[in-house]
Amino acid sequence: MVRIGFEIHVQLGTESKLFCPCSTRFLDAEPNTNVCPVCTAQPGSKPDGINEDAVEKALKVALALGCDVVEKPLRFLRKHYFYPDLPNNYQRTSEPLAVNGELAGVRIREIHIEEDPGRYELREGLVDYNRSGVPLIEIVTEPDLRSVEDARDFLRHLRAVLDYLDVLLYPQIGFRVDANISIEGGERVEVKNINSIQSVVKALKYEIVRHKRVLSTGGRVARETRHWDEARGITVSLREKESVDDYRYIVDPDIPPYRIDAESVERIRSALPELPHQKKERFVREYGIDGSAAWTFALDKELATFFEKLVAKHGVKNALSFCLNLRGELNYRNIYFADVQGKDRFYKLADLYFTGRITKPVYIEYLRKTLDDPDFVPGAQEQLSDEAIREIALEVLKANPKAVEDYRAGEKKALNFLVGQMVSKTKGRADPKKAIRILQEVLRAS
Amino acid sequence: MPMIEELVGRMRNGELLPSEHLEEKISVLEERDHELNAFITKTLELAREQAKRVDRLVRDGKGGKFYGLVWGIKDNFALKGVPMTCASKMLENYVPPYTATAVERIIDNNGVILGKLNMDEFACGSSGETSYFGPTRNAHDPERVAGGSSSGAGAAVAAGMVDLALASDTGGSIRNPASFNGVVGLKPSYGMVSRYGLADLAMSLDVPGPIAPDAYGVALAMDVLQGYDPRDRTTVRRRLEFVATIDAFNPDGIKIGFSDVLLAGADGPVRRAVIHTLKFFEKKGAEVVDVDLPDVRKVLPVYYLVVYPEFASAMQKYDGILYGHRAGGSTLQELVSRSRGEGFGKEVKRRIILGTYVSLAENAGKWYTLALKARKALQEMFNRAFQQVDVILSPTVPNLPFPIGERIDDPVKMYMSDVLTVPANLLGVPAVTFPGGWEGRLPIGVQLMGPRYSDPLLVSAVRFFEKEGRPWCA
Ligand SMILES: [Zn+2]
Repeated sequence: MVRIGFEIHVQLGTESKLFCPCSTRFLDAEPNTNVCPVCTAQPGSKPDGINEDAVEKALKVALALGCDVVEKPLRFLRKHYFYPDLPNNYQRTSEPLAVNGELAGVRIREIHIEEDPGRYELREGLVDYNRSGVPLIEIVTEPDLRSVEDARDFLRHLRAVLDYLDVLLYPQIGFRVDANISIEGGERVEVKNINSIQSVVKALKYEIVRHKRVLSTGGRVARETRHWDEARGITVSLREKESVDDYRYIVDPDIPPYRIDAESVERIRSALPELPHQKKERFVREYGIDGSAAWTFALDKELATFFEKLVAKHGVKNALSFCLNLRGELNYRNIYFADVQGKDRFYKLADLYFTGRITKPVYIEYLRKTLDDPDFVPGAQEQLSDEAIREIALEVLKANPKAVEDYRAGEKKALNFLVGQMVSKTKGRADPKKAIRILQEVLRAS
Repeated sequence: MPMIEELVGRMRNGELLPSEHLEEKISVLEERDHELNAFITKTLELAREQAKRVDRLVRDGKGGKFYGLVWGIKDNFALKGVPMTCASKMLENYVPPYTATAVERIIDNNGVILGKLNMDEFACGSSGETSYFGPTRNAHDPERVAGGSSSGAGAAVAAGMVDLALASDTGGSIRNPASFNGVVGLKPSYGMVSRYGLADLAMSLDVPGPIAPDAYGVALAMDVLQGYDPRDRTTVRRRLEFVATIDAFNPDGIKIGFSDVLLAGADGPVRRAVIHTLKFFEKKGAEVVDVDLPDVRKVLPVYYLVVYPEFASAMQKYDGILYGHRAGGSTLQELVSRSRGEGFGKEVKRRIILGTYVSLAENAGKWYTLALKARKALQEMFNRAFQQVDVILSPTVPNLPFPIGERIDDPVKMYMSDVLTVPANLLGVPAVTFPGGWEGRLPIGVQLMGPRYSDPLLVSAVRFFEKEGRPWCA
């Protein structure tokens, strides 16, 4: 039996860092420009009070995951270890802010707040402290997942919840995952710092194969921490015994315990938005679409919004087919609808198609182009006049005298060939039925 | 002799120009400091610029609180653009990019900053001898220690090189050198003065405070230094009146707590000076009450067990990577351990190692959590005492200033200097030291400790002694 659990690190989209006024937008700035004495740990600097927006966003997540908010004042601890990206050489991390949650049958053990370290480029030996002090929450699950597929589905679901709550600092980054996995007969192995859901899937598959191989050859799977090497697609051992780590936790004397009042909790709880599973149920109920389509839309917040707007304009059936196509194309590209620029263009595309101004092949072609080329704006193709279609029909007949002869001799297959020629020549610029009708008229007349 | 009050008066009414006054201080500095070694960095140019500006401001009636009084700053506070060494090789070349809140408030009130003052390395010491830049010498006897850790602050004020000094106190670091140099020093209630910009020793005990020649200087300084600071969330939103209440002390109805345990291990002259001041207050109408106190010598282990883990944590940031002394090394670990090995002195290392040991997970239950419990028990005991009395009077340090080198290799003996000062830090309460006697030319400090936020009462009691009393003399 496989057991999988996660520690999921989510960068919160607050304006400022957890303990100082610096901007959190570490990707949008030159290295070491979003820094101050606090987040670079200058001698004598002290953390400002905890960023209340970070607590608010953490509570949103905790409540959406059905956690109980811990009543006693929240204390921050110092977790000591030496690393160049950690300017204090300790990380400030809170005690659990909420416990005992659940998402899709997976128990959430606890959620706490901590500060992100800076970014250390090992090879160049450079550190960028722009990220130092960005607020994170760590969501810790119980090892309740039993397969890689379930694990993937869980992470996708969680990701959708975070999108719905609008708490992510950079949606394109998503979250970082530490995965723990064990299979029957082996110890628990932790794989650290995996940056995407696809990579989690790869890392877990890799580990399962590795564990099975070790066990089947009479070996022992030791308790250890491993690192996911994205480039090589393998995990590598970091250290032999996890128990050697001693972070010498002490309560941070600079940060007075933070009391979360029951009123705020209730205010946040009552303002929670519709969550993915609720949206799915509503889609099934309101639009009568099937559960799996509803879920696939619900997992992509922007796609779900788009779907509903499309329903209003073009009805459920059209919206459903358009969005399923769109979902397929997004999946193929491994992106969310939120990652796509210029959403208006998709409304336009739907209008074109559903009002019959473009044909289905063109619509599919345009759908792809609209996704891949942010500058592409779908427009109605110029439609050929009946006279122009007639001229093309004459050209087709002239270019294929043999087929015309066969047709007159009664060979029905010859007509199919001529129709094919006609469609390919008028493609996108004429309704195919009309093109065939005109072809037949010309044949009869000649 | 109410020195600071008179000085401020002369500067306020234009009798003495801030820049003239500064030049006087500079001449004292040039005369005395090569011997006393109270300064690590002298900021003469900065001071002259500031004084010139203050000349104009005073003329325009905008003298602030300080009218150009000359300050020295202990070298563990940040002043933007001026080296902040913490008297350590580790930070020998460190220049902070920002200014400490306390220093900012001094400058905003027209204090003129003459330099950064010597101290024990990272404030670890009670004699001033652990400084990387050499020991500070006692202003009254250069063969003897100036006390610590704010050694330069004590000596510079006593020698008249500065009018006032900003120092910090974790276990006696303001009071010990103030006592050894015969001046007044206040360790304020925890949270009264912002620690932002003060290099950490033990965050839950550290508090900045002033050293001054007299109670008025302390009061004037505190009116500026105190106050909530959003950059130090352990500061409290509460203002105390110092100068306004400085002459309000009325010994009638004041209860002074005393216990023989407070004299345990004290030198003879220290005992006599303490009894002398106690008798003085009693004669003036105060009631002396025998209070039940723990054997103060038992407080030391609790103090060190609380301080060491916090200190080890605070010192963790010094790795030679972003700033500070950087040794070579082919691996990261080598670079960090060599930088720390070369950058820190013996006492700092001793405390880091002990603090690391104490806070190891396997030892946490044994030492640290026990110490935190003991701290609580101690707080309760003193709180009971403070329900009976307004202040507790004791020696500041049980012994007289000792010759340089006498105790530096005997940490246990050295730590005994702290027995009477550390309780105030563990409790977070205020304590003031003032010269209550002289053994020849050696000053004897007497300490008054009160409940939380009784700071102004303590300062006014010192003022009362200055005006009505007379230090004991051998
Ligand atoms: Zn910052």
